[in-house]
Amino acid sequence: MSEDFKPKIIYFMCSWCGTGGSETASAHHLYYPENVIPFRVNCTGAISPLHLLRAFVEGADGIVISGCHPGDCHYNDGNFRARRRVASIKSILDSLGLGADRVWFRYVAHGEGKRFADTAAEFNEHIKNLGPNPLKERKET
Amino acid sequence: MPKVLKLSQGVQEGTKELLRFLLSEEKVKGIVTLKERSPQQGMGYSLITNPQELPNTRPLYPLMPSNAGKILSHLTLKGPSPQPLAVVAKPCEIRAFIELAKRAQGGVENILLISQTCPGVFPLQMSVNGGLKEKLSSYWKSAQKNEVFSEIRSTCKGCVDFIPQNADIVVSVAGSKDSEKECEIFLNTSKGESFVEGIKGSKAAEKEITNKQTQELLDKRKEGRKKMFDQVEAEKPEIEGLVQIFGRCIGCHGCSHVCPICYCDLCFFDSQQNEHLPQTFERYLDLRGGLRLPPDTVFYHLGRLMHTSISCVGCGMCSDVCPVDIPVSSIFTKVGEAVQKKFQYTPGKDIEEPVPSGTYKEEEFKEIGEQS
Amino acid sequence: MKGTTLPVEKDLNQTLIDFLKKGLESGGFDAVLLPSRVPSGDSFAYLLIKNPSLLEEATPLPPVMPVQGAKAVSSLTQYGKTNQKILAAMRPCEIRAATELSKLKQAELENILFLSLDCPGALPLSDYLENPREKDKVFQEALENRKTESMRPVCQVCREFSTTTGDLHVGRWGAEKGRVFLISSSEQGKKIQETMGNQGDQSVDSWESKVKELKEQRLQERAQFHEDLKTKAGGPDKLLEFFNQCINCHNCMRACPVCYCRQCYFDSEAFDLPVDDFLKRAKKKGSLRLPTDTLLFQLGRMSHMVHSCVSCGTCEDACPMDIPVAQLFSLVADQTQKLFQYSPGRNREEPLPFSVYKEEEFHEVETPYRKTYSKGEGKNA
Repeated sequence: MSEDFKPKIIYFMCSWCGTGGSETASAHHLYYPENVIPFRVNCTGAISPLHLLRAFVEGADGIVISGCHPGDCHYNDGNFRARRRVASIKSILDSLGLGADRVWFRYVAHGEGKRFADTAAEFNEHIKNLGPNPLKERKET
Repeated sequence: MPKVLKLSQGVQEGTKELLRFLLSEEKVKGIVTLKERSPQQGMGYSLITNPQELPNTRPLYPLMPSNAGKILSHLTLKGPSPQPLAVVAKPCEIRAFIELAKRAQGGVENILLISQTCPGVFPLQMSVNGGLKEKLSSYWKSAQKNEVFSEIRSTCKGCVDFIPQNADIVVSVAGSKDSEKECEIFLNTSKGESFVEGIKGSKAAEKEITNKQTQELLDKRKEGRKKMFDQVEAEKPEIEGLVQIFGRCIGCHGCSHVCPICYCDLCFFDSQQNEHLPQTFERYLDLRGGLRLPPDTVFYHLGRLMHTSISCVGCGMCSDVCPVDIPVSSIFTKVGEAVQKKFQYTPGKDIEEPVPSGTYKEEEFKEIGEQS
Repeated sequence: MKGTTLPVEKDLNQTLIDFLKKGLESGGFDAVLLPSRVPSGDSFAYLLIKNPSLLEEATPLPPVMPVQGAKAVSSLTQYGKTNQKILAAMRPCEIRAATELSKLKQAELENILFLSLDCPGALPLSDYLENPREKDKVFQEALENRKTESMRPVCQVCREFSTTTGDLHVGRWGAEKGRVFLISSSEQGKKIQETMGNQGDQSVDSWESKVKELKEQRLQERAQFHEDLKTKAGGPDKLLEFFNQCINCHNCMRACPVCYCRQCYFDSEAFDLPVDDFLKRAKKKGSLRLPTDTLLFQLGRMSHMVHSCVSCGTCEDACPMDIPVAQLFSLVADQTQKLFQYSPGRNREEPLPFSVYKEEEFHEVETPYRKTYSKGEGKNA
C-alpha cells in the first residue's frame, strides 16, 4: 500500500473502560495515531449495528470497539451483547464479501492505557496493510 | 414573453453544455440531475458538484426513478439552500416541489429550476428488463414529430401540463423540430436570465413557449387523458368497483412512499390509530361472518385520495412502483382533476397561492350545508 | 408424529376446504384465517372466516403469496390474544414468520392454531398477474408433477418446505395416490382431530422419510445456489451493481413480515440534513446518489432483521425494480443464523439471538492482544 495512505479509523469506546483506557494512555504520554478517531458511547452494548454500518458505508476504513473486560461491564452485560452484535455484523459483511476484518473487538480496562494505545497503533497498521475501504471509494452508495 | 437562447448543439448535448457552464463557471454549487450509474443500466438522480461527472449525466432521459420534487424537498427540508443549486427535472416534478414548498417541506430559494417541454417518460419497468434503450431513438424522433410515443406511461399520455409554468429555464424538447442540431432554451424568469449570462450561444428574439406545435400536442394529450379516464370509468369506481380495482393491493404502501405529496413522517394508515384490538376484529367477524386481514385496503386508498388529491400533480410514480399493477395514478389524476376544479386550484402553478385546505372564504360553497 | 389421511377427490384445495368446514361445524375451532381469491379474481388476500359458506371461495393453497400470512396474524393479535380459537391455514414460512413476530411481541398466538402444508412454492407475483388463468394451470400442474421450475427462485431452494411448526400439517409427500396425510404436530392438533372424529394415530413414516430425502437434496441445491449468488453479488462493486436499480421505495421493508417497526430508522429524521451536509458529501466524490443511502438502507435492514428472516420472498415480489432481494437476504440469513445456531420460527420458546448472550461464546471475534507494539513510553508507532 502506498505510504501516504492515512486510514480513517473510528474507535468506539465505552465511557467506563474504553475511555478510561484512553485517559490512562494520555496520562502516561502514550502515543496513538492521530487518524484514529475516538467515539465515546455510554456502553458498547448501546452500539447498534446501524452505527457500524453507517460509519462503514460513509467513509471509515476500519472500526475498533473497546468495552470492559468480561464481568466488568457497568451495566452487567453490555459487552456480551456487543460481542453478539459484532459477531452478527461480521457475518453479514463476510457473506457479502465486504471485508469483515475491518472490524475489531477488543476489551480494554480503565487502567490498560498501554493496551489501548497498542490497539490503536496495531489496528492502524492492520488497516494500512488492507488498504482503503473499497465501499467509501465507490460513488453510488 | 421569455427570452430565447439558442445553442448550436443537439438538445441533449446543449442541456449538458448548459449544466457544464453553470457548474464550471461556479454559477451553481451543485446540480441535481439524472445520471447513468453504470455502463450496464441504472439511471437515477445525483447531486453533482464536480464538472467531471457531467459526461455521465442524462438530463433529459425519459425516465423517472424517483420524483425529483421529493428529492429536493428532502434536500431542503432543514432550510433553504444557502448556496445556489440547479435542478433538471420534468414539469410534474417541479410542480410537486412547489407544492411541497407550500407545505413547508422545502424551500425554492436559491434553486435554479430547469425543466423541459416534456414528451413523457417510460414506465420504470422498462428500464429493468432493458427494453428502454432500444426504444430511445424512436422516442426522440417522435418527440421531434410532436407525437405521443406509444410506449410512454399511460399517465404521461394523458398529461396536459407538459409545459412547465414555474421553471426558470425551459428546454424545448417536445415538438422541437430541429432538436438534433439546435437546442432552444427559454429563459422564463429574470433569475434564469441572470444565471446564463456569459454563455456562448445566440440570443434570439423573445418568443412564447406555447405555439402551434404545443397546441397540437395538447390536443393529442387531451384525447389520451379522456381515454385514461374512460378506462377508470369503465371499471365503475363505486364501492363495488373500488373493491375490484384495489382488491389485489398487498398493502405495501409503496404508492404513498414514492408520492411527492405524501410527505407525512408517519402515515395515518401506519399509525396506531389504524390498529385494532383483537376483540374489535372478532365483533366484526361475528357480524359479517368474514373479514379481510390486514383490513382497510380500500379505506387506505380513499384516505390517501382525500389527503393528496387536491395537490396531485399526476406524476405517475404510484402506478410505476405498484408491484401488483393497480392503475393508481389514473384514479388519482381523475379524482384530482375533479377536486382541483372545484377549488379552482392548479397544484404547483403559483408558489404564492395557498393550498385550498389551508384557507377559506366566508362566501363560498354556499351550496353545501345550506338546505332551503 | 402421527396422523390420519384425507381423500383428495377434486383437488387439494377442495379437500382442505371440506376439512375446514367440518372443523368449523364440529367446533374444533371457531374461525379460519386463510387466503381467498379477491373479487377481481386475479390475486389473493387473507380472510378471517366464521361463516362456513364463505369458505367456498377460499383457496388454502394459492399459487402466489401476495400478502405474508404473518402480517394478517399480527394485524389481528398485536394487542393481545383472541377470545375465539382461530385456525390459520398457511405456508410454513408464513407460520415461521408469525412465530418470529410473537417473539417480537407483535402477535399473540395463544388462541391461534396453525395448519401448515407441504409447500410446493409460490409463483412470482408479477408473472402471475400477467395471466392469472394460465398461471393457475401452471401451478396446478406443478403441484401434481411436484416440479418447482416455475416457482420463485427462493422457493426452489427452500429447505423449510415441510416444516411443521404449527398444530396440524397436510403432508403430500409419500402419501398414497388420491390421499394426503393430516398430521397432528402438537397436542392441540391432536385434540382437533379427536373433536372431528378423525383416527389421528396412523403412522406417517412414509411422509417423514420422503421429506428427509427431499430436504437433503434441497440443502445441496441451496448451498450451490448461495455459492453462485456469492460470486455474483459478493464484493463492493458487484453488490452496488446488485442494488443499482434500487429507487428507495422501501416496498421490500413494508412487505417484509419481520420488519414490523412503525417507523423505520431509514424513514426517520436521522436522514434529514441541511443542504450543506449533502453538498459536503457530494463534494467528497464529485456526485451523490439521490435519494441517499440506498446501500445503507439495504445493509441496515439486513442487520436488523436477518436473524429472523424466513426467506419467504415477499420482498422480492414487492420490488418494482425486480431486484432479487430475497435471494441475497437468504444468503446472508443462512450464514448469520448458523452462527447463532438459530432457526427462525423453529420454536416459540427459543429466544431471539440478540435478546440473550452467553459468557463463553464468540471468542473468535475478540481480537487477541499480542503485545507486539509494546515499546514503552513515547512514540511507539
